[in-house]
Parts: sequence; structure tokens; C-alpha cells
Amino acid sequence: MEPVVQFDNVNKSYGKHVAVDNLNLSIEGGKFVTLLGPSGCGKSTSLRMLGGFETPTSGRILLSGKDVTKVPPNKRNVNIVFQDYALFPHMSVAKNIAFGLELKGLDNQAIHRRVSELLELVQLQDYASRLPAELSGGQRQRVALMRALAPDPDVLLLDEPLSALDAKLRQQMQIELKAIQEKTGKTFMFVTHDQEEALTMSDTIVVMNKGRIEQMGDPHTLYGRPGSVFVANFIGETNLLRSTVVGTEGDVAALSWNGITITANPGGLSPRVGEYLYVVLRPEAIHCSAAEPTSGNRIKGKIRQRVFKGNHTSLMVEVGAGTLLNTLVHPSDVAQLNGEDIWVGWNPETATVIPDRHAHN
Amino acid sequence: MRTLLSDAPRASLTAFYWAFILYLLLPLTLMMAMSFKDANFVAFPIGEWTFDWYVKVMQDKQFLEACLYSIMIAAATTLAATTLGVWIAMLIVAEGIRGQVIIFALACLPAVVPGMISAISLRIFISTIDMPTGTAAIILGHTVHAVPFVVVMALTRLRSMPGNLVDAARDLGADSVVAFFRVTLPYLGPALLGGMIFCVLLSIDDFVRTFFLGGYRPTLPMLIFAKVQGGMSPEINAMATLVLVVTAAVGLYAEFLTRRARTR
Repeated sequence: MEPVVQFDNVNKSYGKHVAVDNLNLSIEGGKFVTLLGPSGCGKSTSLRMLGGFETPTSGRILLSGKDVTKVPPNKRNVNIVFQDYALFPHMSVAKNIAFGLELKGLDNQAIHRRVSELLELVQLQDYASRLPAELSGGQRQRVALMRALAPDPDVLLLDEPLSALDAKLRQQMQIELKAIQEKTGKTFMFVTHDQEEALTMSDTIVVMNKGRIEQMGDPHTLYGRPGSVFVANFIGETNLLRSTVVGTEGDVAALSWNGITITANPGGLSPRVGEYLYVVLRPEAIHCSAAEPTSGNRIKGKIRQRVFKGNHTSLMVEVGAGTLLNTLVHPSDVAQLNGEDIWVGWNPETATVIPDRHAHN
Repeated sequence: MRTLLSDAPRASLTAFYWAFILYLLLPLTLMMAMSFKDANFVAFPIGEWTFDWYVKVMQDKQFLEACLYSIMIAAATTLAATTLGVWIAMLIVAEGIRGQVIIFALACLPAVVPGMISAISLRIFISTIDMPTGTAAIILGHTVHAVPFVVVMALTRLRSMPGNLVDAARDLGADSVVAFFRVTLPYLGPALLGGMIFCVLLSIDDFVRTFFLGGYRPTLPMLIFAKVQGGMSPEINAMATLVLVVTAAVGLYAEFLTRRARTR
């Protein structure tokens, strides 16, 4: 199937600052794709280039197979949901949603039908004649979404649309957004710096950093098998164990981490002895127990800090002089860990090994 | 603790305030009172009261014609000044245009140049380009004077406009012309209405520029000036009172509109 969106060697720089660095990306139709990264990573610039508000310094952007690199925003079949919604303050909800339809030249009856259909989708039928100023944040958000969906774009672009909402509403809107995407079957391209949002909604996450794609994949892969230190740190909480290779045998590598010997599966890497590697260990992959585990990696440690987080407790365990592991313990297991001395253990297969790019020893 | 001493500054401030109000309103009140005097000259005591002067003013063809002429000039001035003012304000907020500070300074200059200087230079200007004095020249002069006020009002509103409203319109299929008329202009709406009313008042009120640029047809201030030279009569007071009431009402309404626009 032909991709709906294609970035083909796209570069964008402002003077000496490179915002987007040789971006190659193709996005399949009907997917919820998230561009995730810290501010200034080039995600919003990429979105604005696709919307037509920025022109790439070089490279091409294809929309449903057509080169749109130099096409103005009003002639592209993409619509944006802006961060602050950008609803027209002097127009009613219905007028806002009808705006794009009127410009498409639809007749009044068709416009009316489409507007009521969309209002019904987000249960705002009773608000058709209200002004945006008379709506709550969540309602404005929905109107902005429907306004952008109304002209039936090839891709719907969402530029951090949830960042203005409070935490509770944001979670609710995440679920609603995903449901709307599934119901309409549209391609959504969502930009955010919030890894939780990305994990909740996306079919595909594109992690960007310094104008480049760090890693692209489904949420499970990105969380479970991060491809770089940046991704491991950016998505979820993590323990990064910088270790030296001591020896390898097949799928097992013996590593030395701050003097502690552990084993890991180097995956596709074939590390040499003496080389530095990172072992990515998620807090929930670590098992804390009073008794020594019978298999896998196991280290004796002391509990240095307990942080109660409601549905779990976070334990900081010191496993060597000044070396801490962040672990996650379920409420039912906390009770047996009343002493200071405990064992931490993990299955080597649950950890991911990443090469240390910066070490050239 | 409140003492008489600490209240003294406050009390004197209040007293000054009321003295100022009195100073402001006394001449106006006097003028209005005299318009009801049943005699041919302006002096105390008033004695008999009458509405005759108002009846006379309303039947005065000269007065009505001058009114009409002033309104016509005000309308033309407002149209020209608003168009120019909004255009200049758009230029100033537009991205990628150099010298926006200079454009702004130049646009505001006519508001601070003394009316007299402005009038003389305009007179010299129109005679240089062989433009006759009269309606067109008056409109030109009034427009130059009114543009800065529209620019400032439009600019204030434009600066508070979310930058991506126009982007949103473009995104939904509007070209820049459609985006301007359907989004930017309605957004400016209330501020613009206030600015337009201000233009009208500036134009109707203007004497100096009109005096230098006008032809034989008198505008309202010119007519009143001519009549005053012929001697004070309660008829002039009635005329002035009518003008005062109408312009004050319109001015207050404009202020109300811009205030609402600012808080919305």
C-alpha cells in the first residue's frame, strides 16, 4: 500500500540552526502515528512542513503520492488541530466546523448534515450555536478536532493539542482521541513531548531528537526494546547500567557493572571483550525479595529510599557503593520487605543491551 | 489607625477632583443654559425660558446643510482612514517586513504634529500639486489626521490576536484574502468600530485643517465660527448644544465599544 505521508530527505534549517536533519519517514494510512521528542527536536517543524506553513530547505514531502513540497496550506488536503485550538472567536461552534466545508464549496444542506454528524460524534449537538468562549477546555478541544476533521483530510495533524488541559481531562481525551481515530479510520499524526500520551494512543511512535529520528516502532517495542540511550531515558523510567564486556558465549554476555558481574542477551550485537555496553533495565522488571532468587541476575542490596506511589511503591536499592537501582514493588509484596537488606533479581532476557556510541576505547 | 492627618491628602485630592470637574463642566453648562433663554442676546439673568432657538436651528437651512456636509466629509474620511489604517497595522505586524518601527513612527507622526503646522503644510502641499481647495482637500487633511488613531487601535487588537487564527483559516482552505475578510477583519471588528467612530468625531470637530483646506461650503465648525463673528446669539448656543449632545453620545458609545473589545 502506498504511504499517505512521505518525507523524502527533508531538511529544514533556520540560519545555522538545523531544525530537521535529513528526515526520511513514511506513514501508512489509517494509523495513529506520534512524533515524540523533547522541545526543539524538530517534531513541530516537521508537522508544520507537512501542513504547508514551513517550506523545507531541501527534500520533498509527498501526500498520497503527490509532491506537495511547495503547495500552500489551503491547497493541501491536511488539517491541523492547533495547540491552543485557534477556534475563530467570532463564530459559533457550528460555523467553526462549517468553515472548511464552505470553502470546499459544499451546498448548505451537505454542510449542515456533516456538521451535525460531527457534533454528534463528540456529543456536542446542544452546543452548535455557542461561541468558543462559552465552552470548557475539553469542549473547545473537541470542536477544534471536528473542525479539522470536517473537510475529510488525508491526514489529521495534531500539534500538542492536549497540553492545555489538566491531567484528568488529558487522560480522558487520550482515550477519546484514540476512539475517534479508530471510528473514522483517518491517519492521525500527533506531536507531543509527553511519552505517556504517545504510549497510550499510538500505533507507531517516531522518537525524534536533534532533528533526527532516534527510533520508530510500536509502543511495546519502544518501551521494551529501546534502541538508544536517548529512547530508553525518554520513554518511561529506567535503570541504565553502563557495563564492560567480560566474556561472551552465544546469546549470553557476561558483563561487569561497577564491579558486579551480571549477564545479558546482547541481541544482534556481537560485543568484544573490554567494550562498553548499556543494559536497560525497567524498574518493574526487577524483582525484590527477602530471599535470594534461584535464577537470573541477583544482587544483594540495601533499601535506601521508599516512595509510596499509590498503586506501587518505588524502592531505591543500593547494590554497591553509591550504586542505586530504581525498582517497582507491588503493594502486596511491600509488606515482606520490611528489613533493610534485600535481594534484587531479574531475568536477563527482560533487559535490553544498547551499544555505547560515545565510547571509542 | 485613621487620623485626620492621614486623611488630609485624600480629602484634598477629592476636593481638587471636584474642582476640576466643575471647571470642566461649568462652561458647557452655561452654554447649554443660555440656549433656552428667551431673548436675543446672551447674558444673565435668563428670565424667560424657551425652546424657540432649537426650533429655529432645526429650520435653519444653512445649519442643516453644514451638518450634512460635515457628515459627508466625516464618512469619506472614516472610510479612507480605516482602510489605510488597517492596512498599515497589518504591515506592522506582518512577518518578514523590514523597518516596521519606522512604518509605525511615520504612521503615528500626524497625530503629534500640531494641527496648525499640519494644516499649513497640507495647504502648501495641495497647491504644489495643483489640487483645488474644497471637499477633496478637506477629506485628505482629515484622513491624514485620523489614520494614526486607527493604526493604534487596530494594532492593539491585532497584537492580541492569536497568531494561528489566520493559519487555521489557511489550513482549512482559505487563501489570504478570504482569511483576511472572514477571520482577521471580524476579529478586529469591535476595535475597528471604535476607531471609526473616533475618526468621525475627529473629522466633525476639526476646524484648523478645514479652515486652511476648505472652499466656500462651510462645515459645521466653520459655520458656527462665522456666526459667532456676527455676534453671539442663543441660536449659536442651541446649535452647539445639539452638536455637543450628539458627539458626546457617540463618543461615549465608542469608548464603551473599545472597552468591551479590550476585555473580550
